[in-house]
Amino acid sequence: MILLKLITWPYVRRHKVRTALTMLGIVLGVAVFVGMHTANESVLLAFQKTIDRIAGKAQLQISTGEGGFPEEVLDTVQAMPEVRVAVPVIEAPVDTGRKGEGNLLILATDMTGDRSLRDYDLDSGDDAVIDDPLVFLAQPDSLMVTREYADRNGLRIGSRVPMLTMDGEKQFTVRGTMKSGGLTQAFGGNVAIMDIYAAQKVFGRGRRFDRIDLALKEGVGIAQGRAAIEKALGAGFQVEPPASRGQQVDSVLRVYRVTVNLNSAFALFIGMFIIYNSFAIAVTQRRSEIGILRALGASSSQIRNLFLTESALTGLVGSVGGLGLGMLMARGLAVYVSSLLSGIFGIAERASEISINPTILVGGLVMGIATSTIAGFLPARDAARVDPIQALQKGKHQTLSAGENRARRIVAMVCAVAAAASLLLSSVPVFFYAGFLLTLLTMLLLSPTWTLWLTRAMRPALKWLRPIEGALAADSLIEAPRRTSSAVAALMLSLAFVISLGGVTRASYNSIMDWTTSALNPDLFVTPSPTLTDRSFQFPQGVGDTLRAIDGVADVQSVRSQRILFDHTEVLLIAVEARSLGQRARRPAVEGPASMYDLAGAGKGVILSENLGRLHHLHAGDTIELASPTGLHRIPVVGVVVDWSDQGGSILIDRATYVSWWRDDTVSVFRVYTRPGVAPVDVRQRIIEQLAGTRRCFVLTNADVRAFIKNLADQWDDLAYAQIAIAVLIAILGIVNTLTVSIIDRRRELGVLRAVGGLRNQVRYTIWIEAQVIAMVGLVLGAACGAVMLKYVFVMTERDISGVALPYTFPAGIAALLVPIILVSAFVASLWPAESAVRGSLAEALEYE
Amino acid sequence: MIVTSGVTKAYSGKRNVVALDAVDLHVERGEMVSIVGPSGSGKSTLLDLIGALDRPTSGWIELDGQRLDGLNDDGLTRVRRDKIGFIFQFFNLLPTLSCLENIALPLHLRGWPRARCVERARELIDLVQLRDRAEHLPDELSGGERQRVAIARALANNPPVLLADEPTGNLDSKTGSAILELLKDLHQRLNATILLVTHDQYVAASCSRTVSLRDGRIISDTRR
Repeated sequence: MILLKLITWPYVRRHKVRTALTMLGIVLGVAVFVGMHTANESVLLAFQKTIDRIAGKAQLQISTGEGGFPEEVLDTVQAMPEVRVAVPVIEAPVDTGRKGEGNLLILATDMTGDRSLRDYDLDSGDDAVIDDPLVFLAQPDSLMVTREYADRNGLRIGSRVPMLTMDGEKQFTVRGTMKSGGLTQAFGGNVAIMDIYAAQKVFGRGRRFDRIDLALKEGVGIAQGRAAIEKALGAGFQVEPPASRGQQVDSVLRVYRVTVNLNSAFALFIGMFIIYNSFAIAVTQRRSEIGILRALGASSSQIRNLFLTESALTGLVGSVGGLGLGMLMARGLAVYVSSLLSGIFGIAERASEISINPTILVGGLVMGIATSTIAGFLPARDAARVDPIQALQKGKHQTLSAGENRARRIVAMVCAVAAAASLLLSSVPVFFYAGFLLTLLTMLLLSPTWTLWLTRAMRPALKWLRPIEGALAADSLIEAPRRTSSAVAALMLSLAFVISLGGVTRASYNSIMDWTTSALNPDLFVTPSPTLTDRSFQFPQGVGDTLRAIDGVADVQSVRSQRILFDHTEVLLIAVEARSLGQRARRPAVEGPASMYDLAGAGKGVILSENLGRLHHLHAGDTIELASPTGLHRIPVVGVVVDWSDQGGSILIDRATYVSWWRDDTVSVFRVYTRPGVAPVDVRQRIIEQLAGTRRCFVLTNADVRAFIKNLADQWDDLAYAQIAIAVLIAILGIVNTLTVSIIDRRRELGVLRAVGGLRNQVRYTIWIEAQVIAMVGLVLGAACGAVMLKYVFVMTERDISGVALPYTFPAGIAALLVPIILVSAFVASLWPAESAVRGSLAEALEYE
Repeated sequence: MIVTSGVTKAYSGKRNVVALDAVDLHVERGEMVSIVGPSGSGKSTLLDLIGALDRPTSGWIELDGQRLDGLNDDGLTRVRRDKIGFIFQFFNLLPTLSCLENIALPLHLRGWPRARCVERARELIDLVQLRDRAEHLPDELSGGERQRVAIARALANNPPVLLADEPTGNLDSKTGSAILELLKDLHQRLNATILLVTHDQYVAASCSRTVSLRDGRIISDTRR
């Protein structure tokens, strides 16, 4: 402790900025981990509360995924002796067109039974309306909103709210407002109650419900009630407590959670390099101090422990800072997480408070301290190895950060062999991921050697360009590869991440665009919602006949899509006239005969998307089970095609089979083909004229849909650009650190250069060239490491993330873009070190040590 | 050749230290002058100032007819490059460059063509009798050989002034004597002005003039 007080504290006080920069890596790493996980938990908790509020006193909920079921099911449930009360529910988000309000969740129920499940807690004076539900029912335009929503939008009893229904725009009347508390707190008050039968018309549900909420009779256990209902309704129905919907929310966040963990690991990893470099600087600068301590009797282990304690303390302080910053970040990130989950209800949850989980905080703290201590290990060892005689002797110089050794290369080779062996067993996930980590480790361990080789290879060219400055810059790196290698390794990893992400993004983008060309070829898409992904509204089947009768229309395909539960995961079921689809749009086939669409059209099979097949290990010829409201159906898989409709995968079924099994003839989208020679825009106009005023409809052209999909795909590019920004930051931080160490190490050398006639610009050139060499080596190794990592990432994507097999695509464009960006960043990073190299006292530099 | 007038160098800090106090010195062309004095007497500071490595707090210095005050950093560098050759106690050779490259260093910095740099470096390495060590790195040489390379480097630009800071201080007596003989030989052959800081009375006595410093002031100036 006394050494910390006497030696460390004065140094920290003298180098406040550097100490702060050292901690920054840990602060960021811990903040990302704590912030993202806290935001995640807070939103999940808020969602769970919302689910509870909406569910009210309901003990069980019956559904068939998104598709709903016929009204008769309610009669069956209500007649069961175990059930006390069962009420139908339709739940759909609608855009009210009010600015800044987002969507409004319409919860439509049967007022006659629902008040025993949900407490609407009406404002006084309005009870009369609901006290007699018949009054509410008698007026199908009735709407009940929360007090918060009414206040925000200036609504009062009797206010008119326009809504675009399936029968065109209709005016609804506010007939009640609900007090704060319970249900009204869901989605920040963006909830409205409507009569179920009015909702059937508004949302085009026909005589169908989305869900049944129920309470069991006293004495009937949940498990018992659930078993009885499942038995009565069959396998196509999911009977679950409301809380299980939270699991669905949780599963949506799976990819996000993987990303969170990767990001925080990445940030901490980079933090480790920054700390390593900073401690290497500290050891170099304090060499004579260490020599004095050693001469005065400090043992090498005392010196090592001093530096290890310093690094642990740096980790502790950095981690505490990271916890604080993480909590601040969590507030902002919660909004992002909410929007990720908005697809589930159609409304983003507003997490009003951040929930603090001690496990996350302790985890962040431990990670920060451990990372910092590991990073400080090598500099601490170097410090312990300081030779007191050399350190104290004027004119003697001991380069501490040189160390390019054989042992590391041997360990690297062992890792490489182990990685290769893991590849042979890569069908087992644990071996595959171990192989991935070992490959990364091999590259990290070999980076000093590669840096050495590459710099040696570049030396003749650099010397030819600038005989002294070029040679000295190269020599500086050749003489102390380990000094450079931490910056090179950080840069290499960072660029490798950019390349991997860019490669997968590019390959996905190309695949999506290929798919849109081959599969999404109708001239027009007629939908009840402005986007193809919104499935709140459905058309009645009859609209198809209206469309077919319109002049210029050659063919119309009726698509009904809904999410269903398949093999315990959510997948997209797409029902369409399979034969017509086969004739018009041929999706790139992965497996199956050319006749697969005819087979599907004849009801003899379904076609799976490639990602579903891969994630569920299914192939053409296998038989799958589909649970529908009419029971469990076994059907063969007749083909596998590339399909990007859904992240979880999709099942293509013939429409006739779907209608028969799901007893649902509604339509989500009509795909319209125009006759040759007829301009699609003209047909679009005719459709709008025909349906306007009577139907809620949007007519999208093929170009609109492609632009929508391209826009979605482009969002991935933004991620790649964010990663490039991180790479630039790392390049700058790493290079500034490395050059600072290099200048301290070579202070005398640079002094000699100036003493024998080197102009300041010539010294600057030396430093600038050194930075450019680091950047070039980082770029070459980053591209190489990225190319290898990319291969793993493609396999990972195919096997464990999306299930889509993408062709190996090296993102040459992104790699080319990185060259000028990193070289310019390196130049910028070298400006300050170069200035510090020419500004110091020359006499002192020559006397240095 | 060298004139210092009222040259003072003070270091300010918690306690002000005057390293040189109004030093006046005239050195004629072709003189070989030793500067002696105990540690802290200011002899190295005087050499740094004459060598344009540092600036005086007050007073002025003239070198080969050129006043150094008023020159910017690059101006001082040009003076060092064109008029001065440095010989250091610890040689200060760049460890990664070969002997020949170390000798050619000032010429490259001056922008000479490569072939001429190499040609001149070979002449100089012959002069210090290290031709067979031309491609060796400094680490592969003995102390005396390193100092010979450093002397060759100092002579690269044919500077009118050679400044040597304890040139034999890091060598055994035999090697030190050999280096001293080399310097005397060069002095005679090239008629260079040599200013030499030393602790060694033998080295000091071998110069034609000895200037003694104490507490930043000249206390004696002896010509032989």
